[in-house]
Amino acid sequence: MGLDDIQSGYIAKIVKINATGKLLHKLLDMGFVNGTHIEVIREAPLYDPMELKIHNYYISLRKSEAKLIEVAQL
Amino acid sequence: MIKIALAGQPNCGKSTIFNMLSGIYQHIANYPGVTVDKKSGRFSYKALDIEMVDLPGTYSFSSYSLEERVAKEFILNERPDIIINVVDASNLKRNLYLTFQLLEIGIPVIVVLNMMDVAKRRGIDINTQEIQKMLKCPVIETSGAKAEGKNELLETIYALSNELKYHEFKLNYDILEPYIEHLQKKITVQNENLSQRWLSIKTLEEDETILSRLSFLTPNIKEIAQQSKEAFENTYNKDTTSFFASTRYESADIICHKCVKENKKNSLTVTDIADKYILNRWLALPILFLIIFAIYQLSIVLGYKITDYTWPILAAFKNLVIDILPQANFTEVPLITDFGVWMVNSANALLNYIPIFLILFALIAILEDVGYMPRMAFILDRVFKKFGLHGQSTLPLVLGGAFVGGCAVPGIMSTKGIPDDRARLATILSVPYMNCLAKVPFYTLLLGAFFSANMALMMFFISTVTIFIALIVAKLLTSSVLKNRETAPFVMELPPYHLPTFKGVVIRAFERVWLYIKKVVTIVLAVAVILFALLQFPGLSSEKQQYFEQESNAILQDFDKKMKDNSYYSLIDSKEKVASLLNYYDEYRSKRMLTSSKEGAQKVDDAFIARNQEFFLFIKPKTNKDARIINKELRSLSSQRNKILREIKNEKIENSLLGMMGRSMEPLTLYAGFDWKINVAFLSSFAARESAVATLGSIYENNKADNQRAEEAMALNSGYTPLHAVAMIIFMVLTPPCIATMIVVKIQTNSYKWMLFAIFFPITLGIVAAISIFQLGTTHALSGIEAMTLFYAAVVLLTLIVGLFPSKRINWTGGIEPKTNGLYSKYIQSQKKEKR
Repeated sequence: MGLDDIQSGYIAKIVKINATGKLLHKLLDMGFVNGTHIEVIREAPLYDPMELKIHNYYISLRKSEAKLIEVAQL
Repeated sequence: MIKIALAGQPNCGKSTIFNMLSGIYQHIANYPGVTVDKKSGRFSYKALDIEMVDLPGTYSFSSYSLEERVAKEFILNERPDIIINVVDASNLKRNLYLTFQLLEIGIPVIVVLNMMDVAKRRGIDINTQEIQKMLKCPVIETSGAKAEGKNELLETIYALSNELKYHEFKLNYDILEPYIEHLQKKITVQNENLSQRWLSIKTLEEDETILSRLSFLTPNIKEIAQQSKEAFENTYNKDTTSFFASTRYESADIICHKCVKENKKNSLTVTDIADKYILNRWLALPILFLIIFAIYQLSIVLGYKITDYTWPILAAFKNLVIDILPQANFTEVPLITDFGVWMVNSANALLNYIPIFLILFALIAILEDVGYMPRMAFILDRVFKKFGLHGQSTLPLVLGGAFVGGCAVPGIMSTKGIPDDRARLATILSVPYMNCLAKVPFYTLLLGAFFSANMALMMFFISTVTIFIALIVAKLLTSSVLKNRETAPFVMELPPYHLPTFKGVVIRAFERVWLYIKKVVTIVLAVAVILFALLQFPGLSSEKQQYFEQESNAILQDFDKKMKDNSYYSLIDSKEKVASLLNYYDEYRSKRMLTSSKEGAQKVDDAFIARNQEFFLFIKPKTNKDARIINKELRSLSSQRNKILREIKNEKIENSLLGMMGRSMEPLTLYAGFDWKINVAFLSSFAARESAVATLGSIYENNKADNQRAEEAMALNSGYTPLHAVAMIIFMVLTPPCIATMIVVKIQTNSYKWMLFAIFFPITLGIVAAISIFQLGTTHALSGIEAMTLFYAAVVLLTLIVGLFPSKRINWTGGIEPKTNGLYSKYIQSQKKEKR
C-alpha cells in the first residue's frame, strides 16, 4: 500500500521505500526510515500535496512521491 | 582570532542566534560561484576576536543538495576552529541527525539548544547535563528570540578557544563497523586534522566531495569504497545509505528517550490549531488571498502614498543640483546642465521606489519568519506544478505585479527560497512578464486616448493577461531550455509558527534595500550615461541650429520691443539680463510649487528677495503697473521658450543615435504598426519605464493649444487607430524589461547568459505577438477592443492547453539522474579551476 492511499487522520508504518537517488537521500535525511510511524494530517485544498507528521514534526509530500513509500496502515 | 562556523537545520532559529551574537556587524556575500548567501560577522569577547560564518541551513551533511555541498566545502577549505550547531529544542530528534554528522567531523562542536522557551511551553523537559555527557561536547540552552543564553554561549566559546580539543564522538554503526575500520586503514591523509573515521564513513556514503579530495593521495579510493559497500550489501542484504540513516535516527531516538520528557504529548500546539484554519480545505485559499491582498495594499498602495511625502525630498535634491549647474542662456542650455538633470532624473526614478521596497521587504521577512512561506507553497503547489513552477513561486509572481501592478525587482529577489533550481530559474525568468507598476501610466495614456469608453475592460484585460503569459512562459522554458536543469523533490517541512523578532525583520529589510541601492541604482546610472549619449549625439544640424536661433531671437526682439517704454527697461535691455530674469522666474515657480504651507512660501520668497530684490518685484508686482506688464510678458516668454526647448529636444531625439536605431527598425516594426517615434519611446523605456510616457508624451505634445492634454493630442494628431494602440499595449505587456530588473536577474542567476536571454526572449515574443495581432486586425478589419479580446482569448486558451500537457518528470523511481546543467555543475567547474 502506498502512503498516498492513507486517509487523513490515520497512522501508517513505513515498510519499504522504492525511491532512488536524490529523492531517497532526501527522504532518509528527513527521517523516512523503515519502521517509522507516519500520521497523515491532511491533503492540500487542491488534493495534492499531502501533509504528514513524522518524528513529531510536519512535512509535506507530493502524492507522486508519497506513492513510492510503501506502508502498512496501523 | 578564532573562526566559528554556525551550522544547523532550517527553521532552528540559526539566524536569531547569529544576530544575537554578532549584532548588526554583518557582511553578506555569496559562496564562490554560487548564489547561496554567505553571511559573516565579526565581534569580540574578553579580548578574543571572533569571526563567525553562517553556513546554509541543511538537514544533513551529505552531498545531495547545493547547500550541503557548499557547507561541506566551507568546513574542508576554511577549517573553522569551532562548529556551533544550533538545534531546535522542540524538535530534538530530527535535529540530532545533523548533530551526529557534525560531531564526527573532528572539529570541536558546541551544541546550542535553541528555542528552549518554545520547548518549555510545549511541556518538553530536556536534561541538558545528560545530553552533554552523551554527546561529549558542551551543550548550551538558549532562546534566541529573547536573547537568553548569550553570555553562557560566549563564555563557552571563550573557554573552548583556550583549549581547542576534539573529544572523539563515535556513533555505533553495528554491523557496518568492520567495513568502516577497514576503509580507515586504506585512507592516507596528510596533516588533516579531520577525523579519519569521518572520512571513511563519508567514502562509504559515496560522498563526491570527500572522494575527489582523498583521491589525490589514494588514487583508487573510489574502487575500494565501492568494494566495501558491495561486500556489506551482499552480506547483509541492506542498503548502506539507508543503514546509515536508520542508525542515526535510532541513536537520536535513544538520546531523546533518555534525556527528553514530554509532558503534554497529546495536547494540540498553537501551530496545530492555527493550521486547522489556515490549511483548511475551504478556508486556505480565501486566507491566502487575504494575506496577499494585505501585502499588496500595505506595500504597493500604501508605499506609493508614502512616496508622495518622500518625493519632495528627491525633488529638492534635483533643485539643489540644478542650482549648482550653470544656468541656461535663454534657449541655449549648456550640455553639462542637460546631463546633470538627466542623471538626477534617472536616479530619482529608482530611488522613488525605496519606501515601497522597504515595506515589502519587511513584510516578506515577517512571512518568512512566521513560517507561512512553505504553507503558501503547500496550498498552491498543484497549480504551479503544472507549469513547471513551485508552490513558492506564488509570492514572487504576486510581487511582480498581480492586481494593478507591482515590481519585478523585489519579485525576483524573493525567489531565493525556492528549493528547486529549475523552478527557481523559471520563476526568475517569468516574473518580469507580470504587470509592472511603471507601465501603468503608459497604459493610462493610450487607453485615455483610444479607449475612453472601454477603459475598465481594457485595464482588466491588461492586468490579468500578464499572469497567464507568465505561466505560459514558465511552461515553455521548463520544457525547453530549462529541461535538463536540476530539480529537487518536493519534500518540504512545514515548520511551527513563530513570532518574528523585530531586530531580525529590520535587519533583513534594510539589507535588501541596501543591496538594491548598491547593485541596481549604481548600474542603472552607468547605463543612463550611455543612454544620454545615444540621445544627444550627433545633435542638431547647422541649419536647424540656425533656425532655432532665429526663432529665439525673434521672440526676444518682440519682448524687447514691448519693454522699450517700460520704466524698468534698464534691468532687461540685453539678452543675458532677460535670460537671467527668466531663469529666476522659472526657478521661483518650481520651488514655490514644492511648498504648500504659508511659512514655506514665505521662506522661498525671502530667499529670492535676498538673491535679487529688483527681480522679485516682477514676480510679485502687486500694484506696480510697469512691473505687472513685465510679469505678464514674462509668463508668455517662459512658455514660448519652453516650446522652443521642446522642439529642440524632439529634433535632437529624431537625429540622435537612438532615433536612428528607431528608424532602422521601422521596416520590421511597421508590420506591428509602430513608426520610429514609438520605437524610440520603447528604446528609451529600457532605462526606466516611466520614460516611455515622457518620450511619447513630448513627441505628441501639441504646441498650439497649451491646455490640450497629452491623451487628446495623441488621439487627434498621431494618425494612430485603436488597433495601433492595441499592438503597442501588447508589446508593452510582454516587454521591454527594465535595466533594474535585468541586473537583479543577473544577481540571482549569477549568469550574464540568462540576463541576455531575459532581455531578448521577451522582445522577440513581444514583436511576434504585436505583429500577429496587428496583421490579423488589419486584414479582418477588427476594432481595437475586438483585437484585444482576441489576444486575451488566445492567451487564456494557450494557458489551458500547456497546463494540461504533462510536464516532463524526472523519473525518481527509475533512478534516472537529471543531467546537471545546474548551478552545481558550474560550481564544481569553478572549484576544479581553483584547484588547478
